[in-house]
Amino acid sequence: MNFMDWYRADRLPTIFCVGCGNGTVINCALTAVSEVGWKREEVVFVSGIGCSSRAPGYIDADSLHTTHGRALAFATGIKLANPDLQLVVFTGDGDLAAIGGNHFIHACRRNVDMTVICMNNQIYGMTGGQGSPTTPRGALSTTTPYGAEEGTFDLTALSIAAGANFAARWTSYHVKELTNAIRAGLETPGFSFIEAAVQCPTGYGRRNRLREPEDMIEFFRTHSMLRQKYDRLLAEGKLVPPDTIVVGEFVRRDRPVLGGKK
Amino acid sequence: MSKISFIQGNIACAEGALAAGCRFFGGYPITPSTEIAEHMAMKLPKVKGTFIQMEDEIGSIAAVIGAAWTGVRAMTATSGPGLSLMMENIGYAVMTETPLVIVDIQRGGPSTGQPTMASQGDMFQCRFGSHGDYSIIALSPATVQEMYEMTAEAFNLADRFRVPVFLMADEIIGHMREKMTLPDTVPVMPVRERTERSTLPFKAEKDGVPGFTPFGKGHHVHVTGLTHDERGYPSTTNPDVHERLVTRLVAKVESTRREIASYDVTNPEAETVFVSYGAPTRAVWQALHDLKDDTVGHFRLKMVWPFPDWVEELFPQAQAYIVPEMNLGLISRELERHVTIPVISVPRLGGALHEPEELIRAVEGAK
Amino acid sequence: MKLVIDPRRCKGCNLCVKVCPYRIFRPGRRPNERGVVVPELDRPERCANCRLRRLYGRTICGVCQLTCPDQAIRWEEEEAYEPRKVAVEY
Ligand SMILES: Cc1ncc(C[n+]2csc(CCOP(=O)(O)OP(=O)(O)O)c2C)c(N)n1
Ligand code: SF4
Ligand code: SF4
Ligand code: SF4
Repeated sequence: MNFMDWYRADRLPTIFCVGCGNGTVINCALTAVSEVGWKREEVVFVSGIGCSSRAPGYIDADSLHTTHGRALAFATGIKLANPDLQLVVFTGDGDLAAIGGNHFIHACRRNVDMTVICMNNQIYGMTGGQGSPTTPRGALSTTTPYGAEEGTFDLTALSIAAGANFAARWTSYHVKELTNAIRAGLETPGFSFIEAAVQCPTGYGRRNRLREPEDMIEFFRTHSMLRQKYDRLLAEGKLVPPDTIVVGEFVRRDRPVLGGKK
Repeated sequence: MSKISFIQGNIACAEGALAAGCRFFGGYPITPSTEIAEHMAMKLPKVKGTFIQMEDEIGSIAAVIGAAWTGVRAMTATSGPGLSLMMENIGYAVMTETPLVIVDIQRGGPSTGQPTMASQGDMFQCRFGSHGDYSIIALSPATVQEMYEMTAEAFNLADRFRVPVFLMADEIIGHMREKMTLPDTVPVMPVRERTERSTLPFKAEKDGVPGFTPFGKGHHVHVTGLTHDERGYPSTTNPDVHERLVTRLVAKVESTRREIASYDVTNPEAETVFVSYGAPTRAVWQALHDLKDDTVGHFRLKMVWPFPDWVEELFPQAQAYIVPEMNLGLISRELERHVTIPVISVPRLGGALHEPEELIRAVEGAK
Repeated sequence: MKLVIDPRRCKGCNLCVKVCPYRIFRPGRRPNERGVVVPELDRPERCANCRLRRLYGRTICGVCQLTCPDQAIRWEEEEAYEPRKVAVEY
């Protein structure tokens, strides 16, 4: 079965802007889900609020499009009430790390058996491009008109520190690697976190000299560095270029899981 | 065999839930409701149910909604500050037609207020607290027995209407111990579940309620808090879709007001009528007992929302209503909207129940 | 197998142009009736998936389809060879 068969064809095309990376990540996630062979009846797709969180609405399976930031708490309830269901959560950087930050660390801590895919576009897309907890220092947004001054969250590191069993980061350029990482996440019991850097040409790119969708894809291509190389450079005391996106698998472990199949 | 028992209101509430088949509890500790969570934590695992202490009340209600969508009976219990945090997701439960039970053991507010003292300050919040137009059901127990029975009944109402049902108790009833009869079983209504996958999972049946489509049964249902059509798909800019949906959500509850209403009428020929719900009901009972005046009656609400707005039919000779409440007058205002004779509010703040003498004086003042 | 772009779904982002290693997609020139400039295909029979999918029994490459944010790229079975009508001019 091809990932295309998982879409609600009657709802396409999506509401996403031209060249938005969210669609790519949904393709990869659905490819991974069909590769692991889950049946539609056993998967529930959950999300919060944001452009990225519209994903479940396009998938032909049970899906819960919840309130802003709360997807993981809803998903926790579903998983614990019926551990036979497989949970896949789509979320955005604002949804997950700002308003939903507390649920995020606690879902990691509990190591609830679910796979969480965060489309990190470094911006609040749906509300028109305000700064988020992952907006890089200096980047322009409608609420950081003079450049973002706050520090950012490293979402993957946060998930690891909080206790997730699996964590990986890729980008919408690395479709094969991203698919494989999501698949590994689906197959790893416990909380699996996959951070997917995505382009938001409308809310982010337009204000940060990455106007065309392909500009951002090109940025991902040229600025990504494998985790192994990054670690080596650090160990050797060498300089890592700023703006580097470190990609790869960061953790895979088997801490005790909450809500595993009974 | 039913058995006589001497237990705390909060424990009776938890036992009523368990008897009704509640198998999921998500909560966060808060006085004066915590005993409910603690009791559920102890009992649920023994009946293959799930207890989870969430990171806050927003998470609690979210987890309960998620659990409810797997088809289990699910509940949470809290008090004012927690209820405030739950508000957004209560609106979500209304919009997505999720059956669930919320127990509010009311304490003095605003803010952290009086954690260990009773109040009825949340009676409007449970009805109007979330944004937008909607309707819910709220029950208000006055005895430990009712903590048990009403909690069990709340699940039937929630399932029937696919709506959040509130048990609006207070610190007095929650922490009071009194004798009660534990029945062998409680009435459990079957859930109207769709048996087959439908392309219109949110198409209502004649009573305005769509058959339930829990997750994991092949319904492929998309559930969203956005305004949605009968397919469950977002439709956020079409005024007709929104109007139809919201009107139905309200009407499915409000149109059955008379059928589901639950109240006690004492002395329908009365000229002066006490109107009460929850703990002050006990003070009224005492006052009536002490007064021994057959021109005084009592309209005691067991279901506060939807409000029985046909009160005047029940007390055709009434000249005044006296409404003792543990707030500055909330339900008295609702009553005022529906009657033509004076409504005398007898407010009480601070946590202590009304004195029967205070109520007797109010009757004398009304005459 | 035949590579096709669904003109009702494509939004014209040109990401397919960016990612295909064979440069099979190139930016389109004219907007269609939806106002979208759908990319054009340059000798799509060169596509790895077109050539090898049947042989390997699975999607080969497929990067354009996975990347296309609007689910507009797919492969269709080609109809069996049909003799084309040739307008013969006498
Ligand atoms: C409680 C609440 N606050 C604010 C909003 C408004 N809002 C909707 S989406 C959004 C931000 C979404 O950003 P992100 O999670 O990064 O997702 P993206 O749209 O970028 O994919 C906000 C603030 C809301 N819907 N609910
Ligand atoms: S605003 Fe950004 S994230 Fe939202 S659909 Fe447009 S490109 Fe995508
Ligand atoms: S990637 Fe898809 S949507 Fe974008 S131009 Fe190519 S076919 Fe069209
Ligand atoms: S499958 Fe690969 S080779 Fe074929 S068109 Fe797509 S990107 Fe190019």
